Amino acid sequence: MAVDWALKGELEDFLYREAHILDEHRLEDWLDLFTEDAEYLVPLREYLQGDVAPAGHPMIKDDKQMLTVRVRKDATGYSHVETPVSMTCHLISNVVADETDNPDEVNVRSAFTVRQARKLRDEAWWAGRRWDRLRRVDGGWKIARREVHLDATVLPRGIAIFF
Amino acid sequence: MSNVGELRDIVDWRNGRVASAIHFDEDLYRMEAERVFNRAWLVVGHEDMVRKPGDYITNYMGEVPVIVVRDAGGQIRVLVNKCSHRGNQVCLFDRGNVKGFTCSYHGWSFGLDGTLTGAPLEQMVYRGELDKVALGLEEVAHVANFHGLLFASFDPAAPALDEWLGEDVRWWLENFVLGGPVGGLEMLPGWHRYRSPGNWKLVSENFIGDSYHVYAATHISWLAMVQDFMGKGIRIPIITYPGTTDPPMYEGFAGSGRSAPLGMGMVVAGNDALYKRDLAEAQELGPEAVEWVEYRQRQLLEIAKDRELKPYSFMHGGLFPNLGLMGFFSPMIGRHFQSFHPRGPVEHECWQWTMVERDAPQAVKDLAVQRVYQGQHMAGVIAPDDVENFERMVEAGRARRNWDRPFHYGLQFGHEEEGPKGLPGNLGPTPSEGNQRRFYRFWLEMMERS
Ligand code: FES
Ligand SMILES: [Fe+2]
Repeated sequence: MAVDWALKGELEDFLYREAHILDEHRLEDWLDLFTEDAEYLVPLREYLQGDVAPAGHPMIKDDKQMLTVRVRKDATGYSHVETPVSMTCHLISNVVADETDNPDEVNVRSAFTVRQARKLRDEAWWAGRRWDRLRRVDGGWKIARREVHLDATVLPRGIAIFF
Repeated sequence: MSNVGELRDIVDWRNGRVASAIHFDEDLYRMEAERVFNRAWLVVGHEDMVRKPGDYITNYMGEVPVIVVRDAGGQIRVLVNKCSHRGNQVCLFDRGNVKGFTCSYHGWSFGLDGTLTGAPLEQMVYRGELDKVALGLEEVAHVANFHGLLFASFDPAAPALDEWLGEDVRWWLENFVLGGPVGGLEMLPGWHRYRSPGNWKLVSENFIGDSYHVYAATHISWLAMVQDFMGKGIRIPIITYPGTTDPPMYEGFAGSGRSAPLGMGMVVAGNDALYKRDLAEAQELGPEAVEWVEYRQRQLLEIAKDRELKPYSFMHGGLFPNLGLMGFFSPMIGRHFQSFHPRGPVEHECWQWTMVERDAPQAVKDLAVQRVYQGQHMAGVIAPDDVENFERMVEAGRARRNWDRPFHYGLQFGHEEEGPKGLPGNLGPTPSEGNQRRFYRFWLEMMERS
């Protein structure tokens, strides 16, 4: 069942603030938005025909430590793919939020467009949907699980930013 | 640049100098499609990808879309994905299982073996005059299965695959890269694909020979993370297998004369440091893993029992023209291959597929798969830094005036053979650019064959 308007507004606010944190490249703050047991998944998208098993192995299947590795890698100063750092613009929309069996958790689905710009003109446009499981922690919200469904079977470039 | 005669001057592999024009020139790119991609044996997949009749995957040979399919009789065929009526693409999916292919334009349908089985209103509109036998989907001239790895060649006059690969390459591929003696490899379904700047040769030569970049500059952010996180006792799959440079390692090479070059970077041979490393990790995973690590060690020693030097693993490699191989030192890190498909002179597409050793316990497989995706993968912490270099090379070299000054392939020049003997092919010092020199030698030979 959908959450009430007040809660929906609160959850949207959380997602929009998160988008600003990402676009301001405050990645340590971004990590703080995840619970300690968080999962961050980016499944492989494929076009399948007939009766065949799906790939079953996502492109990304991170726990919080692996997410931390990604963030810290860029902080070493030797992460060439993020030198210079990408400019990103995360646009979040189509937010719907539903209750779950757990009174402290909600399912939030949203759509995103992310533009990534680097150097003079190299850029990538990313679009897709997030399926988030948010958990109420100390009066605020944290991401307990995020599934990122990118609309691409062939990625426009390697992934070195966050969705 | 359209004069083949000039190629000798710009591809001066003998002196380790190759002009960057070969990564930018459109005329050369078109010639290369004909002389390299339309003639070479290309890897198009693995038999595991098409286990049952009707199973297919779509792939590319150069820029030509193909369907790799197992027909009703169990034979694997490679069909050009282009309708024989008026050229429409007949298969639109990445992979699947079907009874045949039907074209969306006028509805001609084709069997799994490519034969034209029907055309709408055939009797009425063609009055029985349609030569269906002549109008099947084009079948790629040669297909061969090398221990599961599927190769195809467009060239009716292509040498047999065994000859194309040569004895030494076959030995390394079968026994070492494909893990024959240890039970072979199991493919995970699904391509992981991304588009990237850079001529396909930039990434192919990186895989076939460039061990230099790994520790010298490109991947040091990853190596720094390994140290940092290990130091803090944080354990994540890609972090917990040290990217070691400790044991003596060699650059491996096989292939000579008319046979396609295979290069392998950082071959571990003649010492058991990494075997012990794998054993230690297996002990944490349980007795089944220990038993398996010991079993595969016995098997590896067995294939080299009459040889002075025992190979254990390799880091990276490449098979001419466009197959990249990742062995990553250890079966605990999984293995993956990548096809580098040309997409114009300054772009390529990387198609990665992942495998694990078939006989490994599930706990090892799970770990290995995680390490593949966390590492040399489009969303990992290693491959994106490679891609960044290619992107920069394109930006630096695109202008025509910058095409002439040659790239420098001088590492281990004249020292390529200074390694231990006793295994097929050659083991030499690492890092080296010997494999890049051999890659361009063979490329030049193919380009010069009219
Ligand atoms: S183009 Fe395929 S049926 Fe006409
Ligand atoms: Fe690399």
